Order: sequence, then C-alpha cells, then structure tokens
Amino acid sequence: MPTPFERVQAILEKKYSLAPETITPESTLESLGLDSLDLIELLFDVEDEFKIRVPQDGGAALKTTTIQDIIDSVQKMLADTAAQTGVEPAT
Amino acid sequence: MRRVVVTGLGVISPLGNDPDTLFSRLMEGESAIREVITEGPNGPSSNVAAAAAFNSELYFPPLQKTDHIDRVGLFAMAASGMAVRDSGIAFTDELRERSGVSFGTGMGAAATLEETFTQLLLRDPDRVKPLTVLKVMNNAAGAHVAIQHSLGGPDLTYSCACSSSSVSIGEAFRQIQYGTADVMIAGGAEAELTFGFFKAWNAMHILAVPDREDPSASCRPFSRNRTGLVLGEGAAMVVLEERGRAIARGARIYAELAGYGSNNDYRHLTKPSVEGQAKAMQLALSDAGVAPEDVSYINAHGTATALNDVTETRAIKSVFGDSASRIPVSSTKSMHGHLLGGAGALEFVISLLAIAHNAVPPTANLNVPDPDCDLDYVPGRGRSGQDVRCVMSNSFAFGGTNAVLIARRD
Repeated sequence: MPTPFERVQAILEKKYSLAPETITPESTLESLGLDSLDLIELLFDVEDEFKIRVPQDGGAALKTTTIQDIIDSVQKMLADTAAQTGVEPAT
Repeated sequence: MRRVVVTGLGVISPLGNDPDTLFSRLMEGESAIREVITEGPNGPSSNVAAAAAFNSELYFPPLQKTDHIDRVGLFAMAASGMAVRDSGIAFTDELRERSGVSFGTGMGAAATLEETFTQLLLRDPDRVKPLTVLKVMNNAAGAHVAIQHSLGGPDLTYSCACSSSSVSIGEAFRQIQYGTADVMIAGGAEAELTFGFFKAWNAMHILAVPDREDPSASCRPFSRNRTGLVLGEGAAMVVLEERGRAIARGARIYAELAGYGSNNDYRHLTKPSVEGQAKAMQLALSDAGVAPEDVSYINAHGTATALNDVTETRAIKSVFGDSASRIPVSSTKSMHGHLLGGAGALEFVISLLAIAHNAVPPTANLNVPDPDCDLDYVPGRGRSGQDVRCVMSNSFAFGGTNAVLIARRD
C-alpha cells in the first residue's frame, strides 16, 4: 500500500512530469516550479485520490507551502472523516 | 491626432494558419466549409461549418501549460504571436508599458462552458474542473496575450457579437490616436463549433441549409438561393502602431488604419437596419476623411441571410450613391464561414491583404443573381492586378452594434 506521500508524489509526477526523486516531503511548491494555480489543481486531484473534500474555509488550504503540509491536511481530514463515520481510514 | 498603421498580421483560420495561405486560397474561391460532426448525449449530430485545423503543439513549447486555456484563448495567443513576429517589433521595458491588448469575442470559452455543464449535469454534480472560472471568463484570452508578451498598457475585451473584433481594433486605434498607448495587439477570436452551440444557432433558424451535393457550397452570400450563414472558427490579430515610431524603426507597413465608425441600430435585437448600417459607414468615412468614391474595395458583412444581404446592399447604395455600382464588394464568409466575434478582425486582415496584393477576393457560390442585391460582388474568383488603395470592412451584429473600419495604403 503506497503511503500518502507516495500517492501525492505520484500525482505530481504524472501531472507535472516531475522526476520522483526531486519531490520530498520538505519540497516547497515553489521549489517544484508550482504556483498558486497549480496548487488549486493539485488540491483537486488530491481530493479525488483520497476521496476527501478540502473544506471551503476561507482559503486555509491555499496557505500550503510544502508537500508535507498537504499530507498533514489530508491525514487530518481522513481522521476527521473516520471519527464522524466510525470507520478507520484505509491509510 | 496621432496616426496609426498596421505592422503585423496573424491568423488562425479555416483556410490556413498564415495570412498568405489564407489570401491565396480566398483568391481561388476555395471554401473551407465541410460537414462537421459533433457528439451529443443521444449520438452524433451533423452540421456544416468551417473549422480551423489547429495543432497547439506547433505554437506552444512542450512544457508550457495550456490545459487551463480554452480553445478561443489558444487561437488568440497563436495569432498574436504570429502578428508580433511579423511586425518585427522588439518590446523594450519602456515600450511594454506603452503597449496593450484589445480583444473581441462573442461567445468566449464556449467549449469549456459546454464541457463544464455536461460534466456537472450528466456525470458528477459535485465536481467541475478547478480552474473553470479562469478558463471561461471572457477576458481570459486577452489577458493571456498580455502575459505572453508582457504588455503593461491597456488590456480590454469587447463583446458585441459579430462586430466584437472590429470594435476591438477600432478602440485600439483610438488608444494610439489619443496617445494612451503606442502599440496595441488587437483582434478577436471565436471557437464555438460545439454540439450545444450548433443547437442554439439552429434554433435561431438562420443557419444555411447544408448543400447535400457539395457541403462546401452551403454559404451563398448575395445569391438568390442563399439560405443562411455558416459558422466558422479561428482568430485574427494585428499589431497597430503609432505611425511615426513604425517609420522610425523601418517597419513594413501594411496600411494606415484611417477610420472607425461604430453605432447601434437600437430598433431590434437582431433585425438589421439600412439607416444604422449606413450611418456606421458614414462615420468611418468621415473619421478617415475619405470620400465614398475613393474606396477601392468593401469587405461586406455578407452573412448570406435573407435579411442581411439586402439590407447591407441598400445601406452601401445609400452611402456610396453613384460610386456603389463600381466598387467591388465581396463576402469572404462564403469561404471561411462566419467567425462571429473573430469575423471583423479576420475580414480586416483580408482587406489589408487586398491592399498588399492589389487584389480583390471573391464571393463564392454566387450563382443566382438576386434583383435586390445588385452590386459588383466579385462572383467566383478573385481579381488580381487591381489598384486597391483604400478598403472598408463592415461588421454588423446581433444586439445592433455596427462597426466599420477603413484602411488605406500608406
């Protein structure tokens, strides 16, 4: 089972033709050559990949700066969903 | 008032993606109109239209991200790049701040809108693509052109249906005349050959009946057997430049953009008016300081609808009087289709090429004379070896906005 990081890495690799070794949890979006519009698209793909919905909470998700920030948000959302439904997240 | 010249041309058109190919095919009377099949929820749907053969890979570097730009914007960017290269202009930091974009489109990002609602209503009511807003906003195409060339002057988008890009060129002309810009990339684009937009146009009952034996002959402006307009797609952009600076840098000058007239019919949303069209032509003539008898060629709006062609003929006669019968008037829409928001710019480019080549393009498929359309429409094939010094390009729109451009040999 790939880790959440590996799953985000795979999205970035596919969508932006980035070499996987250039992507680390500490990578900033800027260091990967991604701008704020790329982040909007990335969040959309992340939503599909993890079957979650990033909340519409005034743009908090857009403050993301590193890949780890995205992973943290995803894990928090998965945990919240699990708490609501009583089902353990698959990751 | 400062004078304005045209120093660069760019086109993505149903008859080819460079001005010379476009013009030589027009001169032969060649039509790009074909059967076009679109897929709807209940299967394929057939129409006739003039599509542009457009391979975006030829215009954008492999790594440039373009999937957040609608086809209409890609057309605009490709044609703008071509026009800027053709002009040979070198934008310095100082010049960039004095240069802008003036763009026209009728329906904007039609394909993206349709795709978005199809996705939302037929597939997943919860999901639309994340950058949809940026893709469908009407000023997106013009903004991408400004970003593409890093231009810091005015960037305006005009939307007035079929006269959108005559207006965008005319208003850009004013920006340079009044001194608020030195260079403007101006023109327009349309890309709406989609299942839903074909349905919408069909519902208006003004599309031509497809010619079963020869679909390419479906559009017959000024011919008694005309049945309506045929949609086309593409873009045309020109580089407008203050005349003094164009001369100083030794630029090739296609022509001087000498006059612009725009008004509204104000009587009906779709019904054209002789008085309104005539007034637009008169405004342009007087703006240019050109006498009617000095016009060597008129590129007509010439949609091939019953109403337009008679109205336009009467309007031309009322403005040009005795000269009307000896001025060649042609509708090139018979060959490249009706580009709607891109039509005015494409036809203005064709009119400039008429000056450059001293040649007049024809009206194709004019086989049955109409007693109500009795001007010289240059039927069949174009005429070379003419003395084309001054041209008029007409655009008349749903909504009543008329716009007329006049250019003359510099």
